[in-house]
Amino acid sequence: MAFIRQEPCDDVFELADHRVRLSPVWSFLILMLFFPGMSSAKADDPVVTVGVYENAPKVFVAESGKPAGIFIDIIEHIAEREDWTLRYVFGTWTEGLDLLAKGDIDLMPDVAYTADRDRIYAFHKEPVLSSWFQIYAPKGSGIRSILDLDGKRIAVLDHSVQEAAFVRLTAGFGINATITPVPDYKTIFAMVAARQCDAAITNRFYGLVHAQKHGLEDTTVVFHPTNLFFAASKSGPQHLLDTIDNHLLNLKSNTQSVYYGSLKRWIAEDVKYELPAWVATLGWVLGAVLLMSLAGSALLKRQVNARTRELRQINREMEQRIVQRTAQLAAAVEKAQAADRIKSTFLATMSHELRTPLNSIIGFSGILLQGLAGPLNSEQQKQMGMVQGSARHLLALINDVLDISKIEAGQFALSISAFDLRESIEKTVRLVTPAAAKKSIDLNLAIADDVATATTDQRRLEQVILNLLNNAIKFTDKGRVDVSCRIENGQYRLSVSDTGIGIAPEHLQPIFEPFHQIDVRLGRKYEGTGLGLSISKKIVEMMGGVIEVQSRLGQGSVFTLHLPMNSGEGP
Amino acid sequence: MSDVLLIIEDNEQNLYLMTFLLEKNGFAIIGARSGFDGIQSALHHKPRAILLDIQLPEMDGYAVMAELKRHRELDGVPIIAVTSYAMVGDRDRILAGGATGYIEKPINPDTFAEEIRRYF
Repeated sequence: MAFIRQEPCDDVFELADHRVRLSPVWSFLILMLFFPGMSSAKADDPVVTVGVYENAPKVFVAESGKPAGIFIDIIEHIAEREDWTLRYVFGTWTEGLDLLAKGDIDLMPDVAYTADRDRIYAFHKEPVLSSWFQIYAPKGSGIRSILDLDGKRIAVLDHSVQEAAFVRLTAGFGINATITPVPDYKTIFAMVAARQCDAAITNRFYGLVHAQKHGLEDTTVVFHPTNLFFAASKSGPQHLLDTIDNHLLNLKSNTQSVYYGSLKRWIAEDVKYELPAWVATLGWVLGAVLLMSLAGSALLKRQVNARTRELRQINREMEQRIVQRTAQLAAAVEKAQAADRIKSTFLATMSHELRTPLNSIIGFSGILLQGLAGPLNSEQQKQMGMVQGSARHLLALINDVLDISKIEAGQFALSISAFDLRESIEKTVRLVTPAAAKKSIDLNLAIADDVATATTDQRRLEQVILNLLNNAIKFTDKGRVDVSCRIENGQYRLSVSDTGIGIAPEHLQPIFEPFHQIDVRLGRKYEGTGLGLSISKKIVEMMGGVIEVQSRLGQGSVFTLHLPMNSGEGP
Repeated sequence: MSDVLLIIEDNEQNLYLMTFLLEKNGFAIIGARSGFDGIQSALHHKPRAILLDIQLPEMDGYAVMAELKRHRELDGVPIIAVTSYAMVGDRDRILAGGATGYIEKPINPDTFAEEIRRYF
């Protein structure tokens, strides 16, 4: 069978890349397809044509020249049950998609679902596989999170979706990685093996099968999950897709099925079982002993057989369990990803929906208070002030609750950049100056001369400082609030101290826990969500810093931040 | 003559609020309730700045920004996104989409006009 060797293809190339003219081999194969004399199919069986290209282990051409891989095992299983005659058409990924769009073939294996493709092709509903992109690196590289890729050289398939997704991902984390575009997966791994790059990005199936050969291992950095399907021609027989769905559901529900057999065959690493080798050796040695003693003891023989059976049984059960666990894990991953998506959509929608009416309340009360719509009398002025104060308070509560939800959903991300820390502190202190003046509190600021650039999330750091300042002013009725910042042990040390009511020792420990409020009586004097310090602590920890408190009841409190000058470098 | 601002905002209350507030602060306001109308008004009136909501029916703020950027005659007209999308990354996405500035809703009525002037 003729076959052109192609570079491994990316799971999710965009459609725009598909304009490739037909190679002569393709044209020849298609001609063959329509020549009735060359057809070996039974006249009454439907013929289903399937595109085959090189993307081991999902679909590829084996050394024997026959198509192989997970998608091929599944479609052959279905064809056997349905009495379909399968006809394979060999070529590249782009050529296959092109033929499918024209209706010249019926099915293309291993196509990621995208909205663009849905307009051109038909998809069934039950995904065959889920894939994602993964970072592979030499053994012992120490790459454990996306942040570890800062300053690294990353090899990635040229003009691919993973390149675009990775660029977005690093931009989102404020990471600087050097991206080296490479024309095919094989070269990508070879470059990392030769240390020309520090890490490689491939789809997880390719990596699973090929990484070890190059002395690379998978890291825990994964991104851009996609579901993979057979895509069908829109003009072809539509019942194919329903039939595929029905079979997939059956295959997936039975851990002994061809589906799991195929997964295990193509993607399981070569696990070396010590047990079977030992069992075999034991069997041979005992067999020899038995032979030498001629007839031997029938009892001994039975015992050996029983033991061998037992061990074989254990071995079989272990294999079954591995297959089962793999399936359970894959299902759990899919479920968790779906839940995450729902949660983040809900948070984004809630935030948006609540802000829209608040915009009106805060805006119009502001207009009335400024007298822009006509003068107010003093009572109206006072009441409108209360409306606006309450609306602003409600906004602060919404922001706090959203922050804590994001933190607990693991969706709270820092946006790191370099900025002037002195300016940032001065700006924040200016925000609370009116509140301090109103209570006649003496607000002092002392920033050492060497305090300059900080590289962290400016907005979030200002949120923390503002929270500490607001607390200090809220809980201080007379005296002073002092803010200071200096460098200590190569870190910034920023403290806010007050001469307020202070905190009793028994309340000091849980003060950073969410929803913690010292005074929980209904008629309590101090308002707030009890979330501010908990959020501040999380933010500071994400920046690689710590927050501490010292306090004496009736004398005041000191909150101190120790913050790395560059959060990107970790604690 | 006062500076003309174009506000593209589908929510009637918000449009009224911003119009009232900015008119009282000495601006002349043109309002548009959809992205399509907004683009027509921008080309016709060549405003001093464009205030743009991101969540709009049919044509969203990103699409509006992309369309506005195609017209050379609007080069130098700042586009200020006024939006209640306040999740991680929204700000960066909006600025990357072509906005000159970003003001989060709810707006601060005491400083809003001043914030707009800063982008001139």
